[in-house]
Formats: sequence, C-alpha cells, structure tokens
Amino acid sequence: MTKLAIGIDLHRCIGCNTCSIACKMQNNVPDGMLWNRVLTEGVEMFDDAVGVYPNLSRTYLPVACQHCENPACMKVCPTGATYKDEQGRVEIDYDRCIGCRMCMGACPYNARVFNWNEPVRATGFHYGDAGVPVRPRGVAEKCSLCKERTDRGDEPMCVHCCPGDARVFGDLDDPDSAVSRLWRRGGHVLLEEKGTRPQVFYVN
Amino acid sequence: MDKRKALFSGRTMVVVVVLAAVVLAAVGCWVAQQMYGLGITGMNNSNSWGLYIMAFMFFVGLSAGGLIVASSAHVFGIESFKRVSVPAVITSIVCICCAGAFVLIDLGGVARVWRMFVGLNFISPLAWDMIVITCYLVINVLDLVWLVRGDERKVAVLSRVALPVAILVHSVTAWIFGLQIAKAWYSAIMAPIFVASACDSGLALLLICLLALDRAKLFKFDRDLMKSLAGLLAVFVAVDAFFIACECLTMGYPGAGEAEALAIMATGKTAPFFWFEIIGGLAVPFLVLVFARNREKPACVVLASALIVLGVFCKRAWLLLTSFTVPNVYGGNGITLGTAAAQVGDAGDVWTTLGVYAPTLPEVVVFAGVVCAGALAYMILSKCVLPKCGGEQ
Repeated sequence: MTKLAIGIDLHRCIGCNTCSIACKMQNNVPDGMLWNRVLTEGVEMFDDAVGVYPNLSRTYLPVACQHCENPACMKVCPTGATYKDEQGRVEIDYDRCIGCRMCMGACPYNARVFNWNEPVRATGFHYGDAGVPVRPRGVAEKCSLCKERTDRGDEPMCVHCCPGDARVFGDLDDPDSAVSRLWRRGGHVLLEEKGTRPQVFYVN
Repeated sequence: MDKRKALFSGRTMVVVVVLAAVVLAAVGCWVAQQMYGLGITGMNNSNSWGLYIMAFMFFVGLSAGGLIVASSAHVFGIESFKRVSVPAVITSIVCICCAGAFVLIDLGGVARVWRMFVGLNFISPLAWDMIVITCYLVINVLDLVWLVRGDERKVAVLSRVALPVAILVHSVTAWIFGLQIAKAWYSAIMAPIFVASACDSGLALLLICLLALDRAKLFKFDRDLMKSLAGLLAVFVAVDAFFIACECLTMGYPGAGEAEALAIMATGKTAPFFWFEIIGGLAVPFLVLVFARNREKPACVVLASALIVLGVFCKRAWLLLTSFTVPNVYGGNGITLGTAAAQVGDAGDVWTTLGVYAPTLPEVVVFAGVVCAGALAYMILSKCVLPKCGGEQ
C-alpha cells in the first residue's frame, strides 16, 4: 500500500506564503479562495505576534486538506464524490458533487472551499497544470495533494516551491522515505482528538 | 378563474393573492440563484449552511410533530385525538414538502441531484434522510387517502408504521448534524432534542391551524379537545426544555471544550436566538399553558403556540450557527470566504478569522416564498379535503 503524506517542519517555515501561491497557480484555484492557507497561530492578523513586548512569539501553521486516513468528509458525502484513492489521497470527483456541503460541515480543518459563484480569475484565463480539472460553479474543492503532479511522480507544488525546505513529501508506508524519517523525529497531527488520522503532519 | 372564485371568496382571496405574489417573487430569486450561484445568499466558506438549512430542520420538525400526534391517536386508540387526524396529516404533508424543497434549494448543483439515485453513499446521513423523507411522504399521502375514505383498519395498520417513521425522520435530520465530529453539534442528545422540539413545534402549529380552520368553518374544533391538546403541548415543552438543559449543563460543566460553544450561545453572537428560545419559546408558553384556565382560551393557546413555533425556529438558528462561529484551527488571517466580494475585493474582503453570516434579501425572499407556498397548499388542500370527511365534523 501507498500512503502519500506531507510532513511540515514548522521550525523551517518562515510564513512566506509561497506554498499558498504555488498551490493556487498549479491548481487553477479561482479568486477569493485558497486550497492552502498559512495561518499565524493564536492571532487575528497575519504576521501578528503573541504576547507582550519583549516576550513575543510568532509561529506559522500552513493548513490544507489533511488527507485523513479516516476522512469525515468522505463518510458524509451522499454521492460518493469524495473518495480515498489507492495512493491514500482524499480526492473529489467534481462531476458527482451536488453541492450539498455536508463535507464542509464535516471537515474539522476548514480545508474545503466552495464555488459559491461562477469562478473568477484575475488573469481572465485558466492557469496552472493543464491536467487539473476545471471546477464548475456549485461544487466543493480542496487540496488534491497535487494529484496530477504526484501521479507523474513529481512532488506537490507546495513542496517543490517551499524556499525554507519546510515541506517533505513521500510515502508513509515506506519506512525509509524522507517523510517517514521526518515523522519519526516527533511528528504530530492537527486535532488528533477528532480521530481523523491526518496524513499531513507537523514537526516543531 | 370561476373555479378559483368557487374555492375561495372575499377576504380569503386577498390572502391567496398576496401569498401567490410572494411565491412568484421567490421563484424569481430562485431563478437568479440558479443563474448566479449560491453566492447571492449570505453563505460563505466560514459558514457553509444558512437560512435554508435552518428552515429545513424547522419544517421537518413541524411535519413530524403533526404526524406523531395523529398516528399516536390511532396506535394507542385515543378516540378524541383521532378527530384531528385529517388536518394533522395535511399539515404534515405540506411541511415535509417545504422541508424537502429547502434541501433542494440549498444544493449548489441541483442539476446533478440524479447522482443521488445512481451512486448513493449509504453511510451518509443525507442519504438516510432522502430515503426516510421519501418513505415519510408516501406514508403521509396514503394516510390521508385512507383517512378520507374512512378506511379505519388500514389507517390503524399504517399508523403503526407512521409513528416510528415520524420519529425517525427527525432523528435522521438530527444525525446530519449530531454525527459530525468537527462541530459542537456532535452529541448523543441531538436526536432526542430534535424529536422533542418536533413534538412541541409541530403540535403548536397544528393547534394554530385547527383554530384557523375552525374560524374558517372548515373544521369544528371542540374546546375540550383544544384543552387536552394544549395540556399535551405543555408536557412537550417541558420535555424539550429538559433536554436542552441537559445538553447545556454537559457542555458547560467541564469549563473546557464545548464550554466555548456554550459561551457563544449564552453571551455571544447567537445569544439573541438562544435567549428568545429559552424565555419566549419555552418558559413563557409553559407558564401560560400550565394553568388549566389558560388552556380553555383560544387566544392564550394561539399566543403560546406561536411563541413555541418562533422559539423553535430560533433554536434552529443557534443550533446551526453557533458551531460555525469559531473554526477548530484558529489563526490569522483565517478562512478564505469565497464570496463575490472576495472575488473582486481586497484582502479584507477575502479573509475572516471567525464565522460570519447574515442572510441576504434574495435568500429571505426564497425562504418566505416556500413558507407562503406551504400556506397556500394548506389552504387549498384543507378546502378540498376537509368537506369530504363529513364524519369528522
């Protein structure tokens, strides 16, 4: 079995948002939404800090679909549009999505975005990988773990572009992979108590 | 036109015209929603369900309540309650159709809804809901037909199926929310709370309808019967209040986790809805109905019933919206809204750290239109069906 995963070394994350934009470019993500967000933890404003001077700290948390082993979104999808593929990725068949948004309520990570309107792109044309399906109005979408790139054996675009080398992509079922080695350095997942068993993990 | 005039006359016709006008406006707004997308509503990525889903929960409850009373009468042989069976089943049919309409209206891709028939995921509570609501509607229609024909034996048999299905239909609606680990909805008491609020709001609506039918001289609503139904309503309100109290205590006592959601309900953004429900929807109606003297007065019964129905609507609001208020993974800038403003505006229009939602005018018009269509259907059905069951009068 293959269990594709991304490990993020938060110590190396500089909060530059390159992953968000790389993802947006690669996947033709329309205006007004992102598949991958970089949060500044514990504050309202991006790049704000926690604490009172001189005891300040600032940490970043990149969040996208966690490609859970036990995906809450997949269970509640009435048409089976959301599915777990044989590589361990959580994917969406947009043709089957009826836009009921059960998945958006179910996802504990707010990973999903919805095409409330006709998608708009500042460029006026589609961009990114030609293999990425174009999503119509009225369907949910989210990080696909760069399905089109990873199918070809490439890394996801966020991993490829990260200037701090904070992101590691690979197969968690292969104990010798870089991502497995990173996991053994003390990986933790978001909202572990929800039991979703994410395949995206973090190392401090 | 002549036929219409024969059906309704004078002042009733004015009401019919007004209702029809609202329905037409709503159809217009719905067409606009199909053309431009759900973006014309107030929903966004931080708060992905709104007024339509509140209304869906609300109407499933109103429907189930009516049928629970009607079928209990036949299952347990409560002779006096049997007399309200026909109006109760009509209420139930109209309300479940409204509920179904709201789910379909809420879909982003209603044109792809046939996917539900070819690739249904039986693990999804929404799939259960579709199946149960369909069964429920069929049972209701059969019930009405057999009641009108006076086929007492068939009605008695059907009622034994109808009662559990009526309870199930609202439990399944509760499970759409109650089984979601991501939200404060995740609670075993969700289904009992939904059934309790279905019983109180459904019976309250039934009482209002019966008094209206009595006034329209379509149905003779015996005052003794009103008194005993109002007594039953007081019991339902007390049960509902008890369940809500259990839930709130369990949420708040540990002082962590769900206590945050309770704080939002009690003092935060959804507090007006919460307190209206507690005071206006439970405490006041209970205090009115608990006295036998008040239960004899139609005005008191109508007032209490209207408060209960409104209170349960407010409950749908706080129940749904509270869980969207604070995302589990919190941080700046938060969530991308995905709205029309976010598509064209600057960063301030794209992001929110907390859940934001306010229904828009088209959304409210569509909501009002479905309610008015329900009222119209109720008037027409009552007018056509009730005179045929002479024995009931």
